[in-house]
Amino acid sequence: MHDIVIIGGGHNGLVAACYLAKAGLKVLVLERQPSVGGGAVTEELEAGFRISTLDHTPGPFSKNIISDLELSRFGLELITPEVRVVGLALNGESLAIYNDVERTVQEINKFSTRDANKYGEFVECFTRIGAVIAPLLSLTPPSIDQPSASEVWQLGKFGLAFRGLGKKDEYRILRWGPMAVADLVAEWFETELLRAMVAARGISGSFAGPWSAGTSLGLLWQAALGGSPIAPADHVKGGLGSLTRALAKAAESLGVEVRTSSEVSRIDFNATDRVRVILKNDETFEARAAVSNADPKATFLRLVDPVDLDPNFLSKVRNLRAVGTIAKINLALSDLPRFKGIPKEDGPTRLAGRIHIGPEIDYLERAFDAAKYGEFSQHPFLDITIPSLSDTTLAPPGKHVMSIVAQFAPYMLKAGDWATCERDLADSVVDTLSEYAPGIRDVISSVQVITPLDLESNYGLTGGHIHHGEQALDQFFTFRPLIGFAQYRTPISRLYLCGAGTHPGGGITGLCGANAAREIARDVKMGKI
Amino acid sequence: MNNKYDAVVIGGGHNGLVNAAYLARAGKKVLVLERRHVLGGAAVTEEVFPGFQFSVCSYVVSLLRPEIIRELDLPRHGLEILPLDGTFTPMPNGDHLWRVNDHARTRREIARHSRLDAEAYDEYGKAMIEMAHFVKPIMSMMPPDPTSLKPADWKNLAFMGRRFQKLPADDKYNTIQLMTMSAVDFLDQWFETDVLKATMSASGIIGTFLGVRSPGTAYVLLHHYMGEIDGAFRSWGFARGGTGAISNAIGSAAREAGVEIVTEAPIAKIKVRNGRAIGVVLENGDEIQADVVSSSVDPRLTFTRMIGNENLPDDFCLDLDRYKYRGSSGKVNLALAGLPDFKAMPGPGAHLRGAISISPGVEYMEHAYDEAKYGRFSRRPYIDMVIPSLTDPSVAPPGKHVMSCFVQYAPYNLKEGNWDDKRDEFGDTVIDTIAEHAPNIRDLIIDRQVLTPLDLERDFGLSEGNIFQGELTLEQLFFLRPVPGWAQYRTPIKNLYMCGSATHPGGGIMGAPGRNAALKMLKDWKGR
Repeated sequence: MHDIVIIGGGHNGLVAACYLAKAGLKVLVLERQPSVGGGAVTEELEAGFRISTLDHTPGPFSKNIISDLELSRFGLELITPEVRVVGLALNGESLAIYNDVERTVQEINKFSTRDANKYGEFVECFTRIGAVIAPLLSLTPPSIDQPSASEVWQLGKFGLAFRGLGKKDEYRILRWGPMAVADLVAEWFETELLRAMVAARGISGSFAGPWSAGTSLGLLWQAALGGSPIAPADHVKGGLGSLTRALAKAAESLGVEVRTSSEVSRIDFNATDRVRVILKNDETFEARAAVSNADPKATFLRLVDPVDLDPNFLSKVRNLRAVGTIAKINLALSDLPRFKGIPKEDGPTRLAGRIHIGPEIDYLERAFDAAKYGEFSQHPFLDITIPSLSDTTLAPPGKHVMSIVAQFAPYMLKAGDWATCERDLADSVVDTLSEYAPGIRDVISSVQVITPLDLESNYGLTGGHIHHGEQALDQFFTFRPLIGFAQYRTPISRLYLCGAGTHPGGGITGLCGANAAREIARDVKMGKI
Repeated sequence: MNNKYDAVVIGGGHNGLVNAAYLARAGKKVLVLERRHVLGGAAVTEEVFPGFQFSVCSYVVSLLRPEIIRELDLPRHGLEILPLDGTFTPMPNGDHLWRVNDHARTRREIARHSRLDAEAYDEYGKAMIEMAHFVKPIMSMMPPDPTSLKPADWKNLAFMGRRFQKLPADDKYNTIQLMTMSAVDFLDQWFETDVLKATMSASGIIGTFLGVRSPGTAYVLLHHYMGEIDGAFRSWGFARGGTGAISNAIGSAAREAGVEIVTEAPIAKIKVRNGRAIGVVLENGDEIQADVVSSSVDPRLTFTRMIGNENLPDDFCLDLDRYKYRGSSGKVNLALAGLPDFKAMPGPGAHLRGAISISPGVEYMEHAYDEAKYGRFSRRPYIDMVIPSLTDPSVAPPGKHVMSCFVQYAPYNLKEGNWDDKRDEFGDTVIDTIAEHAPNIRDLIIDRQVLTPLDLERDFGLSEGNIFQGELTLEQLFFLRPVPGWAQYRTPIKNLYMCGSATHPGGGIMGAPGRNAALKMLKDWKGR
């Protein structure tokens, strides 16, 4: 019998496994796919072309976890292009945001001196605030009913840091939290393209447009995660699959048993002293506790027998907002596409980060409007990477792979279903892309389309939601996934959650897994399981 | 009018009058200055067309704080609230949804649409009332500043924290959702009937530039359960004689307490000497000295117009610029020769005595919002109509009627053209929309008054036509209203206070801002 069975070999499951093994526990990870990785996998598009199938950039992945688990020793290599993101306008203008603030300021100066002068302050301000919020990310959200002494202490520490910011920044946090990101960027910048590029982080993966209240939260979160409101464009050498492979290696070196092609059908809690995890093929594993890396809905509504849960709790789980809005298009390219206004020789450097298509706030909002009515955007917001530019292992020489996250493509379609709409979706994406890279169709050698429905059926993401549930004020921190159950524990004493449905949420960061492992290890120490 | 008072109140709207009344009752010598010829600000009754009395802007009362009614003894001063029974929503398919105050009947009505929803409606009602009880004390509370170290702020924060902690688990859950979710997302968890969700969520967007799917709109659902008339929860009503009668009642209470009220006395500027307000200067040049100045008009008028940014701290000016008004609604007032005849429920009847809501579905509401987002008024707007003359015959000639139509969305900033040119087109759009449900409306119209956001700004001093003196969005509520650091009715100018809807708890004919401000001012007075 194992101590812990972890259901799902995504990055959070593997991180949790490593930390639990470090804590001296006998851990088994069950992954239903033939290979580990969940949402962080590299797969072959066609012979010689490999690509991060779903997510294409880490969130960024926690530096502490990388060093704790010595992931570089297990083959993790991060590539950081100088350009974080380049935004494209239809008139052929393009605006690049670099890691280097000074260089970015010069770039913005071409559009607006005012914005150029503001940018430095903008980044500083978010970095300062992010540094104060950051500790919360690796913190277990405190209990509201009876906070423990240590929780009070932790919050006290945060309170002091918060005070340290000074009134101006304190008010900023309080104001920005619930604010529409469109308003936030308008307070800082006048250049529409820049506004849209910055605002994009607020809506990525969400069922929300830039005018939806609460979307500024994304920028605060990003600043806490990565020290800047602008998401970085780090690539993992060999695609995101290499990250999870490194995690799996680390896990195995710590004595974790990882089983692939092992789909769990249900968890049985009838025994008082153990749980029984039963696979589709009826193979059964016993352990002191089960930890689910699946999203909360999948966990409570599919893996657990309803009689084990209070109906009231179940109805709350059913009401969790998890309607995905993202589709993924992966392209194999026979050549590097030419983008309007970007000279051929500049391409390899300027396009090495993320490529942002969504030149105006209104453009992004219109893209969202479609989702509200159960349609996919005819002019979607595209977050694109060409990882092969900085990682030659992904495509044959001179050829490339392009990874496109397309928003908005709602899980629920009003007319038709995803099986029949898949083509049209791909067309609307490639058509949109062609407006900026006119020759693109000629260089596409193969296309992979992943609809929200595929995300659910092939990757087990309920509602096709890549973040395991909407990341909004009502499903956040002490309310994630549900108020009263934000501490990775569930109403069932031997069942835990460690996936993106828990604090601090989606994105390839590994933090959910690490936090969960800490709580589980504590319960083991205290003899609760 | 002499030239020296303890306090001068700028604006004779309901909040200004409440503020003045409370100050006078504490023995202060108070003067209220109103720009227009009538009292009431946006809570005003005017005979727009001979024989037809209109509640020109604000048209229903629900949130007027009971303590104010009590303490100012408003019934004795002529305040009489007549019940507004229910909401009637005609549907394009000829069906309708008609909710009334009688819970059992409403339940049966909802059951026609969905049995599940009928059951959920009970649960929902119970939950909301719990919530309303939780939120109620916050309305008359001095918003605590989480960034301050003052004991008073900490006391209030702790008070709220403890109250929240004491809530049963489910109420905690609901409260969080109410504060953060969109009205539709929140209602989706309870109901399946589209028209029910659309009509209920409509209350969440009134006066804001948000759609029913925008987070932060759920909270306003509570207001329907907080509206207290003689302590009776959930009921809305008319004031006999129109909403102006409320202002007049408060005015008379104020006068009785010794307040001097002068109309047609527009103010040019607030006199400031080394950081202190010392009085006001009228447009006719008259100067009035006062120990304190209390402004019930919105921040833009108070500071940018009457003081001037050059006399204010830069950060404060920046925050003022960021304070969002963004009027999103208009008003159409109709003088009618008879009663509209709704396809969904022909003939006259009780359904016309309540609110009539053109909100047939959630998508309808969202489409209306989308157009506004891109700078057009809605081709098919959300309309909330009432026919007060059915309940209060005194407001129209015999057999004739007044109909008040609140219309959303009408964005203050139009992408093309300007409101002066679009006013009639806007009015026609409203009539066309109503005619789709009540075709005879066109023949009934004797006269019509169309108020665009621009008119609300010009005629009623509501910047950008926002009926709440600034959007009621999460980042502009409570300790952030109107601007961070100045949510406690004080301002960077000593002896200058704010007492209007731009302060906590915000808009609606509540009177709470005026009262809260007065209490704060009197407290400071003692300290002086």
